[in-house]
Amino acid sequence: MNTPHRLPDSTACLWMLKKMILIRRFSEYLIPIYPTDVLETPLHLHIGQEAVPVGLCVHLTDSDTISFSHRSHGPALAKGINLQSLMAELYGKITGCSRSRGGSMHLVEPELGMHGSSAIVGGGIALGAGMALAAKLSNADHISVSYFGDGATNSGIFWETLNFSALKEIPLLFVCEHNHWANNMPAHHHMYGDPLLVSKVFMESFQIDGTDVLDVYKGMAQAVGYVKEMKKPAFALCKTLRWMTHLGVSYDETHCPENMRQKSCPIQKLQTIMMSENMIDASGIQHIIAEVDQDILDADTFAKNSPFPSPDSLMEDA
Amino acid sequence: MDAFSIPMEHDMPEGNRIISYKTAIQEATDQAMMHDSRVFVIGLDADDPSGMFGSLKNLSCQERVIGTPISENAVCGIAMGAALAGQRPICIHLRVDFLMSAMDIIVNYIAKWRYMFGGRVHVPLVIRAVIGRGWGCAAQHAQALHGLFAHIPGLQVVMPAFPYAAKGLLLSAIQDDNPVIIIEHRRLYDQKGHVPSEMFGLPLGKGYLMRKGRSLSIVAASLAVIDTLSAVDSNDIDADVIDLRSIAPLDMEIIRSSVKKTGKLLVVDYAYPFCGIASEICARVAETSFSDLRQPLARITFPNCSVPASGILEKAYYPSAKTIAKKALEMIK
Repeated sequence: MNTPHRLPDSTACLWMLKKMILIRRFSEYLIPIYPTDVLETPLHLHIGQEAVPVGLCVHLTDSDTISFSHRSHGPALAKGINLQSLMAELYGKITGCSRSRGGSMHLVEPELGMHGSSAIVGGGIALGAGMALAAKLSNADHISVSYFGDGATNSGIFWETLNFSALKEIPLLFVCEHNHWANNMPAHHHMYGDPLLVSKVFMESFQIDGTDVLDVYKGMAQAVGYVKEMKKPAFALCKTLRWMTHLGVSYDETHCPENMRQKSCPIQKLQTIMMSENMIDASGIQHIIAEVDQDILDADTFAKNSPFPSPDSLMEDA
Repeated sequence: MDAFSIPMEHDMPEGNRIISYKTAIQEATDQAMMHDSRVFVIGLDADDPSGMFGSLKNLSCQERVIGTPISENAVCGIAMGAALAGQRPICIHLRVDFLMSAMDIIVNYIAKWRYMFGGRVHVPLVIRAVIGRGWGCAAQHAQALHGLFAHIPGLQVVMPAFPYAAKGLLLSAIQDDNPVIIIEHRRLYDQKGHVPSEMFGLPLGKGYLMRKGRSLSIVAASLAVIDTLSAVDSNDIDADVIDLRSIAPLDMEIIRSSVKKTGKLLVVDYAYPFCGIASEICARVAETSFSDLRQPLARITFPNCSVPASGILEKAYYPSAKTIAKKALEMIK
């Protein structure tokens, strides 16, 4: 954080703190389970990147739509996916949000504007634009968000959608959660130039510190507000750090070692400020953690106790 | 007004309201848009005065006709996103070949969404695309790729041969809650026939017996139906002629019951031969109707090479009513 923020009110701060802790604790809970193979689904954890979806979703309503991709747990939890149906999906149970058909990368909750996340990088950007076009055609007030990583800017469909959205003036917010990696390729190898330099030509663009939820809060207030008011697209580039390896439950000690993680931790940053502003104290934080942990345990119990799909259901919805 | 209800027809009615294939498409589109505010048209040159070879001319709701840049992959994805959000898009493409740029969205997204999310979402999307032919269209403007799409679970593929079917299948496709790819042939656009003025649908996945005979079953779709009828009628060939109308789902029942009667099957598919619809039909008939067959199955397809530009080579490339008649006469000899 370079400049001091005017703090959001304590309700917003508490909401964001709790959401980030939920994403963090949920992800950490999966770490020891994953190697036991009870979750037979590829995990892409959101640890360290919590500020971006949380600082975004605090400004969204249930009817605002969002498309996102394989690193799905962060945006899904921030937008409000039911924790039990998320956990059950990871366990491959019929009570999962996608009725066990999707797994970790394919989450859905239509009632909350999540119409399905994709594991092919790029395409979801166009789906988000289509939802924005639908809002425009039906004269609705809500907006749509295309949420993607820096790797997705390598794809043609990103540029196609940027161009289309600007031409057609649809209420779409592009959110690039730039964690500096496309799979296992670092940004300076996969991206020739800063996408913001180009996006500025097409639409209103915002640069946001994606490791600082208060900066995300402030930037997204402007970006979301712009799209809602002007009914035109905007672009938000949020640079953050990927603490984990691309896939699985290992920390990337080579590129994001302990000291770097501590310095960039969005939860630590918010806690420090909230404590200094007397919005919360250490026991208040412990209370949030305990509450979140209980919800996670309940979700785990729910998932474990849920039935697997019947093999007879294989051809349903085919 | 949201949604419309249409009676499901099947037989081709006689009548004297003669309009062209392209007018039938225009009429169905216009009626759907007038009756359902969720229906819109999107695609390259959708809003051009040429109106997609006349099939989109003079639509009543111009504000819901959206011309797009040459961005097939994004445009198909945008149409899909709009469908997920409750609209009923008709995504148009002047050539089937152009859809290859959108195969990621079509195969990995549109086809998968309903199944992959356990039926919690669905994609009520219509994709229309046109097969070209002649005047040096060549390899990238004349492909018939329905077999590629039919290969993918989750995609319905229809190929109307007549103005009547063009209207009925389009209205059924718009009304269906799941994606339908409509493949039209450019050569059919000026074909004329009776089309009722009111809205009606034809069932997806049902073929239609165009001619009744005893000696041979001929199965075809799209332009190949027209050539087959011409071959059969001008040579007095005693054959069942089945217009598939729909490639996926495939109406195997109508084929099996015909083969049971005739014992002989000729499949005419104007497309590449390898792993195509003709192969699929032959495989299924061999699997389930082997004992009904009195001679080997036969196929008429394109040769296994790309479409050439030169008129001389084009003529050598395309099968015709003559090719069909020759083969059919051989088979019933």
